[in-house]
Amino acid sequence: MMDHDSLREQSGAYALGLLTLSERREFEAHLETCADCREELRELAMVTESLGRMVVPREPPAGLRDRVMHAVSVPAAPARSRPRRMSAAPAWLLLAASLGLVAVGLYAAVLHQRVSQSEALARRTELILAAADVKRVDLAGQDAAPNASGRAFWSRSRGVMFTATGLPPLPKGKVYQLWVVTGSAPLSAGLLTPDAAGHAAAVADMPPDIVPLAVAVTIEPEGGVPSPTGAKYLVGAV
Amino acid sequence: MGALLKHDTAAADGTDAAMVSRRDLDTVRRMASGDPAAMGELYDRHARAVYSLSCRIISDAADAEDVVQEVFSQAWRQANRYDAERATVAGWLLMMTRTRSIDRLRARQVRPAVSGDVEAKMLLQRDPSPDPEAEAVTTDAVARMRAAFAALSEGQRRAIELAYFDGLTQADIAEQLREPLGTVKTRIRSGLLRLRAAMGRESL
Repeated sequence: MMDHDSLREQSGAYALGLLTLSERREFEAHLETCADCREELRELAMVTESLGRMVVPREPPAGLRDRVMHAVSVPAAPARSRPRRMSAAPAWLLLAASLGLVAVGLYAAVLHQRVSQSEALARRTELILAAADVKRVDLAGQDAAPNASGRAFWSRSRGVMFTATGLPPLPKGKVYQLWVVTGSAPLSAGLLTPDAAGHAAAVADMPPDIVPLAVAVTIEPEGGVPSPTGAKYLVGAV
Repeated sequence: MGALLKHDTAAADGTDAAMVSRRDLDTVRRMASGDPAAMGELYDRHARAVYSLSCRIISDAADAEDVVQEVFSQAWRQANRYDAERATVAGWLLMMTRTRSIDRLRARQVRPAVSGDVEAKMLLQRDPSPDPEAEAVTTDAVARMRAAFAALSEGQRRAIELAYFDGLTQADIAEQLREPLGTVKTRIRSGLLRLRAAMGRESL
């Protein structure tokens, strides 16, 4: 275990993405408790941004814009780009999630049959639950939904998987949005539309370099928002 | 939980840079809602910076074009996850550019010949064809950054170059520069902090 000064020496290397996985974890654990180092890192991030801007400018070739635009105009892309909307979770999914890792095999097998979005989704869920670094986060209902509860499984390497129960029915034009709250700002982990029984689930990728502090669900305008605006329905500290 | 409800502050101070940030932020939000026109705007504003950085890192125009495509596709897919408190939109794009370019570099197992002095001269070159609109806001900041970079000690400069542009690990850098690992770490950090001090507040 390194002391503060030795850890602080790592900040430059961290900002440039030079640390090994274990060094990075140790540094990130330190970041959670050290406001000075967080501030320094924020400053260094500005520098690394500017470094990228000072290279000799080159004009991209003329045809490149069309190629880039074509890639996003194929029909599948816009749908994928939006915050993921998950169908309401059946009760078995919530049960499987609460049984946790024991149920992984069965759970994944059932997901393979039942989840229509894609096989990749089922595989991601399986990978998250089976990850060596998986963490469980229990979410408690807030004032807006005292009877709701939720559970998230977060793996740095593999993303986040979430289930909730007891969510109140949504008013028209609203949707629940799942957030992973980090030291800097919350990241959207997708949209949730509960079924009639108030069950909902989502799976999302997360950048591996985040330091999650909490998982939360807010109510937002349909389509979702880039940062939370509405009331908190579920909150749980990591 | 205070952070949960915090909003982007980049546009709060009314400077030119802040206006650019605000415009970019609006564009990214429209991308998150699936508006392809917003994607075109983002490309027009930032493709040059993305392509230039990628060319600098991989020294291969065809690969750099692929990186541009990948970066903008990723921006399109992940627009809903862009976090204004972590980086400006340009910074976010350049971060993706660097990561993808270095990945390609490593995949090819080819590293450009390292020649710090030549690089420093290249970095100091004036813009050959500045696009007035795109450059107006950043020219000062870029010029200041280039000057500050050139003013670093050679050890700091080369360590940062090898790390940032060549994607070398700290151990590789130590070997290349024939210096102890601890020295390399210290140089990288002290060099970045000096650059930060030289940037000044107005360039943010």
